[in-house]
Amino acid sequence: MILRWWLSTSALLSSLTIVLVFGFLLQSSWPLIQQQGITFIIGDEWYPFESLYGMLPALVGTVWAVALALLIALPCGVAAAILCAELLPAQLRGAMRFSMELMAGVPSVVYGLLGMWVLLPLLESQLDLLTGRTLLAAGLLLALMILPTIMVLSEDAIRAVSQSQREAAKNLGIGWDAMLWRVLLPQAWPGIRVATLLATGRAMGETVAVMLVVGSIDRIPDPFYNFLQPAQTLTSRIGREMAEASIGSLHWAALLFCGLLLAIIAIGLSLLIQRKVVAA
Amino acid sequence: MFHRCNMGFWAGFLLLGVVLAGPFYAVATTIKIAGSTTLLPILSEAAKQYRITHPDLRLTVSGGGSGMAVANIERGTIDIGMASRPLSAGEAERLGSSTDVIPVARDAVAIAVSKAVYESGVTQLSLAQIAAIYRGEIRNWRELGGLDATILVIDKEASRGTRHVFASVVLGNSRARAPGATIITGSNNEEQSVISRSDQAIGMLSNAWLNDRVRAIAVGEGDAALLPTLENVALGRYVIKRDLNILVPKGSGVEVKEFVDFLRSDQGQAIVEMVGFHSVR
Repeated sequence: MILRWWLSTSALLSSLTIVLVFGFLLQSSWPLIQQQGITFIIGDEWYPFESLYGMLPALVGTVWAVALALLIALPCGVAAAILCAELLPAQLRGAMRFSMELMAGVPSVVYGLLGMWVLLPLLESQLDLLTGRTLLAAGLLLALMILPTIMVLSEDAIRAVSQSQREAAKNLGIGWDAMLWRVLLPQAWPGIRVATLLATGRAMGETVAVMLVVGSIDRIPDPFYNFLQPAQTLTSRIGREMAEASIGSLHWAALLFCGLLLAIIAIGLSLLIQRKVVAA
Repeated sequence: MFHRCNMGFWAGFLLLGVVLAGPFYAVATTIKIAGSTTLLPILSEAAKQYRITHPDLRLTVSGGGSGMAVANIERGTIDIGMASRPLSAGEAERLGSSTDVIPVARDAVAIAVSKAVYESGVTQLSLAQIAAIYRGEIRNWRELGGLDATILVIDKEASRGTRHVFASVVLGNSRARAPGATIITGSNNEEQSVISRSDQAIGMLSNAWLNDRVRAIAVGEGDAALLPTLENVALGRYVIKRDLNILVPKGSGVEVKEFVDFLRSDQGQAIVEMVGFHSVR
């Protein structure tokens, strides 16, 4: 009885938290929406002192940084997961998993400093850039940070494919490649998808590390696909400006709106993926 | 209900809590100081020396920028704010009657360039040239007599005191836009590290952060160009200058007041000069 009560209260409380967070974000950013409508989302000028709160530069920057990170981390992570789950002997596999789990536990500011002192000079010298603080730097750093999530969860998903399926495939006489493409990956796909979603969430929400390497300038790259230019992300903007905004001001509301945008994107993504799972 | 190991765990947990919380209960008063990273070395050193004579006082000093100091004094979350600029009109209206703005040091905002730029011959610029760089009208060092290299223009977060002073003198308005900027940095340390690692950067830095790889250039026309030396600041000749202030709420406790007096005393002002700024006397 007590156990049941405890379980349902915990469940209720955690779902209530989501509602509370959303309510808080919406309520705090409401003054801005009231005063400027909603068109500032596609505005490209962010000058708090002139009451211009265009969200587009940071939005584009966030999408770019996350996309780059996924583009790099997803193939690498899944490949490592396949290797670990199917090919490596148990000892090596344990070592690799352990190292990935360690990687996941490193605080993000450490990655940020690593990026500042190793990645930025490397980019500057190799690509001959004016400054290494670019969307590419943010993407690379984020890729490193989400790699463990993708790898560990994907490996679990691949290993969870039942032994009888593998044996059936072997009995049919199909090769290892075919088994990988036709049996293992399709079966593990829902798990890999969840891993990707979690990784996307982490990449989107990451603040400190990104702030240190992205350049933090509120300008859409020119042309927009040029990821070798400095840019801004929603989180880096919040991180840089939150301390100075006085509570209740429009600036404050605009920064919380950045948070609301992130939350909406995250929820949109997970709904999208959930619907696909149901459809499948 | 609990296993033995669980009991041990909880006992350890409680013990750890007591050990960690202990020091906080033992000390009576804490003075929280935060704000401009320009003032940070002064207040850190002062706090360190002040602790020698006041061992039972806790002083915490952290950065964040002048804008952050104003916001937090307003929220009442810190005891002393550090502001490397005067209060804006709006801020003075909100805080003026309840807060004292006390200058503790004088400083120049240096126009800092990478060593390579300085050595290629760009050793002085007029205010108009600097403004043109930050407005995006001049984009290559060649146009200023240097090497053929794109200028890495470093701007600072809009709330930073250094930027206020720079923008009001060079761009004519403390909140002016800088469309020529390449990247934006926050603290003096962050900006210093960017300039020192680049071969083509220009930025605005407090005098105390200059070094061999981060050189100040003279500001002004022709022979009248001046370096931000302490002497030029003291005589009021260098134009991009400012008072470094602390913000102290009126009606602060006696511990805070005594610390403020210490900052303005001979000993306090000696610290100011030791870390590279000019005394207010």
